[in-house]
Amino acid sequence: MSESIVRYSSRSRARAIKSFLSNLLGHAGAQLGLLCLVFFLVLSAVPNILVGPLETVATATGDFLVPPSSQHLLGTDEVGRDVLNLVVHGARISLTIALLATVISLVVGTTVGIIAGYYGGRVDVWLMRLTDFFFVMPSFVLALVITPVVLEVMGRGREILGFRPSLFVILVVIGITSWAFVARIVRSQTLSLKERTFIDRARVVGSSNLSIMVRHILPNLVPQIAANGALVVAGAIYVETSLSFLGLGDPLQPSWGTLLSLAQRAGAASTGAWWYLGAPGLCALAVSLSFVLVGNALDDTFNPRQRVIP
Amino acid sequence: MPDTSDILSLESLKVHFPIQGGLFDRVLGRSAGAVRAADGVDLNIGRGEIVALVGESGSGKTTVGRVITKLAQPTGGRLLFEGRDMTSAKGFSALRPYRRRVQMIFQDAYQALNPRHTVFDSVAEPLRSLRLVKNHAQLTERVSEALSAAGLNPPGDFFARFPHELSGGQRQRVVIAGALAVKPELIVADEPVSMLDVSIRAQILQVLVDLRAKHNMALLFITHDLPLAWLIADRIAVLYLGRLVEIGSADDITFNPRHPYTVALRNATPQIRSDASRFELPALQGEVPSAARVPKGCRFHPRCPLAFDRCKEEEPPAIEVGPQHMSACWLPTSGAKAELSTPNLKSADHGSV
Repeated sequence: MSESIVRYSSRSRARAIKSFLSNLLGHAGAQLGLLCLVFFLVLSAVPNILVGPLETVATATGDFLVPPSSQHLLGTDEVGRDVLNLVVHGARISLTIALLATVISLVVGTTVGIIAGYYGGRVDVWLMRLTDFFFVMPSFVLALVITPVVLEVMGRGREILGFRPSLFVILVVIGITSWAFVARIVRSQTLSLKERTFIDRARVVGSSNLSIMVRHILPNLVPQIAANGALVVAGAIYVETSLSFLGLGDPLQPSWGTLLSLAQRAGAASTGAWWYLGAPGLCALAVSLSFVLVGNALDDTFNPRQRVIP
Repeated sequence: MPDTSDILSLESLKVHFPIQGGLFDRVLGRSAGAVRAADGVDLNIGRGEIVALVGESGSGKTTVGRVITKLAQPTGGRLLFEGRDMTSAKGFSALRPYRRRVQMIFQDAYQALNPRHTVFDSVAEPLRSLRLVKNHAQLTERVSEALSAAGLNPPGDFFARFPHELSGGQRQRVVIAGALAVKPELIVADEPVSMLDVSIRAQILQVLVDLRAKHNMALLFITHDLPLAWLIADRIAVLYLGRLVEIGSADDITFNPRHPYTVALRNATPQIRSDASRFELPALQGEVPSAARVPKGCRFHPRCPLAFDRCKEEEPPAIEVGPQHMSACWLPTSGAKAELSTPNLKSADHGSV
């Protein structure tokens, strides 16, 4: 008997997953986006195998600002480092920061949104005012203000969770400035879910509020969270690049934004070193565009009737 | 006959939902009034008794059910369970003992089941959250038992299914199984069959009637369908605009109604009869007034063909019109029983329901 149950369940689940994937991949944008993301994830997973260890001034292999050639596919920078090498290593930093910041944003945003929507009343009012505060808080200013403080407190040399302190600050700043968006979406969805009869039933059968939120509301929010999570990653990459461009990044762990900043300082634009500016710039653009495409496709797939314009 | 000691009683239960006024009203501190969903309902349910609560939409019958299952908080009156006052009990842990004994069946079974939970999870949820089982083996056993009792056989075949893989009747059986798993003493069934095909209704009703026979479970059966109420219930209570207008045994209410509203309800019921002309149902005149503006005097008087002056001024109390039969109408006091068969309210033949 139990055998038949397992078979039935796995078959129906496999069918559901299959139809979901075929729906998702029906969007041309999703195909393009996923392809692009897989490419960059491979780059950031094994940069050392692909292009060797990160080059520094001491280990630079080329001449200064050499245009792309067979030896340096993307040319070199102002100290002779291979731009391809820098960009591939930068992918790892940029993607890690963006994904971790998104995790912070989704966890905080979902928690605040569910609690505000579920309890309503005064809890809702106060949590939403808090959300409004974070909604309007400019991430640049916040990062500029707290980076020196963190550096002073932590010391420059130490690493936090494998990140240099300034990168860690960027990660946290992106996380705390982007959750408000998630919280609002989760709250609105919770407001409609909590009026559904199955929530009444859960109450009648004695479930606690926590269990209703975790076991009944959260699973029904997964589509919204997934679709908007992809959009949050895209935003995070953009903010990370901008903050690093302004000089908040770390030269020892260069992200794409840091490379753009170095290129700008080296006068890459005026000397015509288009490869130096173009490579990291296009990468950042491609990755955030891919996440937006995938996010929109997920949103369409989960909820074909309700388009959310990001 | 069922044991007659009351398991649950409502004493002049009131549920008023305040109306949010406009800015102008709020500045002036003026109340915009309230929707009186339940406005003084007195009702008791005996152990193992099936009571039907009948009324049209907007009469407050669902609200009464929600108060009993503690989904809505009354604004007045009392809710007594075995004589103990449960009116102000709050919080899931304080209510746990009550929930073990009072369960609910919902109207729309598809909405009542979480689309992302399997049948097993849905039926097991009350057992887990009410802490009725000690281990997984016991849980599986109780879930199987409940699914079989609700007519889903063999139960194992349904464990891993999701609500969207079931038919409407099967979904309602899952909801019933969830309520049964707890082995409650009272089930509030809010229109449990109104969303189902006529052919499946009888089976679901049979499940409910069997429960009473086997476990002496009491049932509050909320419905808008008078013949259905007569079929299943021992007693019928008729609700109009948040107040009981008539209560009595199922036969008395159906065949010897004393309140003009009950008479109208019965006459509005389509009947399959060879002699009746098909398109002449004596419909009630007018609309149900809004529960936010309950008429003065008897709340039925604007639509009542037999209303006289007293009805417009004074609200009638429940008057005993027979053994265990109460009617909130001034008519018996005016000695005008015969007038119940006016052209507007043709009295149908007895026994033809």
